[in-house]
Amino acid sequence: MKSEILYPGAFPMVRVELAEGEHIKAESGAMVACSPTIDIESKMEGGFLGALSRKFLTGEKFFFQTLRASRGAGEVLLAPTVPGEIIVMELDGVNEYMVQKDGFLAGAAGVVIDSQMQSMSRGLLGGEGFFILKMSGKGMLALNSFGAIHKIELKPGQEYIVDNSHLVAWSTTTTYSIEKATSGWVASFTSGEGFVCRFRGPGVVYIQSRNPGSFGAWVRQFIPVSQ
Amino acid sequence: MVESTPNALCFGDEFPASGAPCLVHVEDHGLTITFIPDRDGAEPRSESLRFSELTVSAGGLDHDQLVATWVGLKGQRTLYLKSPDVIRAFRQAAPDHLSQPLERAAEQVRQVRQRHRMVWSIVGGALLVVVLGLWFGSDVLVELAVDRIPVEWERKLGESTYHDFLAHQDVMKDGPAVDAVNEMIHRLTGQIPENPYTFEVTVVKSDVVNAFALPGGYIVVFTGLMKKAESGEEVAGVLAHELNHVLQRHGLERIIKQLGFVAVVSIVLGNPPGLGGMMKQLGVELMTLKFGRAQETEADLTGLELLYRAKIDPSGMITFFQRLAEKDEGRVEWLSTHPMSNARAERLKTQLAEMPKQNPEPFTFEWTKVRASQGAPPSTPP
Ligand SMILES: [Zn+2]
Repeated sequence: MKSEILYPGAFPMVRVELAEGEHIKAESGAMVACSPTIDIESKMEGGFLGALSRKFLTGEKFFFQTLRASRGAGEVLLAPTVPGEIIVMELDGVNEYMVQKDGFLAGAAGVVIDSQMQSMSRGLLGGEGFFILKMSGKGMLALNSFGAIHKIELKPGQEYIVDNSHLVAWSTTTTYSIEKATSGWVASFTSGEGFVCRFRGPGVVYIQSRNPGSFGAWVRQFIPVSQ
Repeated sequence: MVESTPNALCFGDEFPASGAPCLVHVEDHGLTITFIPDRDGAEPRSESLRFSELTVSAGGLDHDQLVATWVGLKGQRTLYLKSPDVIRAFRQAAPDHLSQPLERAAEQVRQVRQRHRMVWSIVGGALLVVVLGLWFGSDVLVELAVDRIPVEWERKLGESTYHDFLAHQDVMKDGPAVDAVNEMIHRLTGQIPENPYTFEVTVVKSDVVNAFALPGGYIVVFTGLMKKAESGEEVAGVLAHELNHVLQRHGLERIIKQLGFVAVVSIVLGNPPGLGGMMKQLGVELMTLKFGRAQETEADLTGLELLYRAKIDPSGMITFFQRLAEKDEGRVEWLSTHPMSNARAERLKTQLAEMPKQNPEPFTFEWTKVRASQGAPPSTPP
């Protein structure tokens, strides 16, 4: 399997080359184009209950797609829904990442996707829903962001505070606590509470340079409201 | 050939921030760490550590990783071990001086696991409550939600509505009517044990026959209601009823019922301040909240008891309620938020009959003068 990011920047795509018999998991709806040798299967990762809980508790799509090169080698082109960067990383079996529900784009067959419940306060206050995705195993993992992806590297014991809605992924060697954002963190047109995560290293935290919620609120103000 | 499946991550200044994958073997004397080469063909590097060099704790997102730190030639290094097998081997081989922090670490992991199980059962329990709540008209849930709201917060909610309302009203600052109402409130609230509310009462000049109590203890009495009353005891009856809507937190219950399910769940699980915004969005008005039948009965019965304890003749309450409901002269606003029924009056009568007789203490004011001060006719024609 080989992967390559095309048109890096705001509107990228990933091209994944699959040898005969290889397959990858992708966010459903991520597929843009593919060779005629590729079969698309909708598979419920983590079993029916896992899929169901993802659907209802994180709003994640019910299925991930499995893209399988069953009839010979081929390639697939994948793209996220929102404008923003894609990063491809290689899981080595020991590095594990927690990924915010919209951050997953695609993963190799060896990547294990777990819907994980966040502890009660983290999940609720963190706004990621009860479940986030835990990526472990081995192989290629493609994540996407809204805006650009920025990598924060934390040494053991080093702390960093991130606006919760800018989170994309973080390694499981980090720990974090959720704190209520002081007013300076929250944009004026977003109603409701803002939260920030205080991360503590070692590990890496990937953040996105744009906040989907704020962007949505910003767009909404231009949409005429029908009475 | 060295087995090259890493089972740990090593952090240190010369390693990437995501950690260097490495292979940890537990030996009798300590650990052997083999760093996996970045490139194929490069020679793997190994490092041996004695147990005595290590400091051990639990860490990672779920506190289930074994964290070992030591100071090497190139500064501080931190090892994150996740594999249960390696952790077990470590605990068996490690000498006494390391076993203690290790046991603590293991205990921490156990606690975290237990906490997770507990959280799951709470979630399960909450779901069950949700299902049961939907099944039984969601009263259980509403009560749970109401319990989560602190009185202080309830006060804020009522206070803003109270002041907004009074800003547009002709408020009576003093005079016999105000004194009379204050006396009634004083007598009544003196009989409430462990009262978390500081009641505030305002008399408003208006012909509307109404009185209401906002969450948090803010009470408004309209002169229209006082004009309809033939005695102070009758007004006191309405006030006792209103006070008990506050004490039983009926307003909150109604709000939460109106805002619905999402509000309830969010409050039960810990976000009361969001409620104010939600009320604004959905246009829920505190003053026009209509109480339910069960709430009316509860406020009636507890109100009756309160009157009794305050030694105010409770029969005034009953006659006034009946008169308000029967006579259809002008609109009685109070009835639109406190739906009256024959059953209510009957229930009150039965309850009163069961109470031991006592000699009520009259108020210090003369009701005829109070009424006269508001321009009402000195006596009502029969
Ligand atoms: Zn009532």
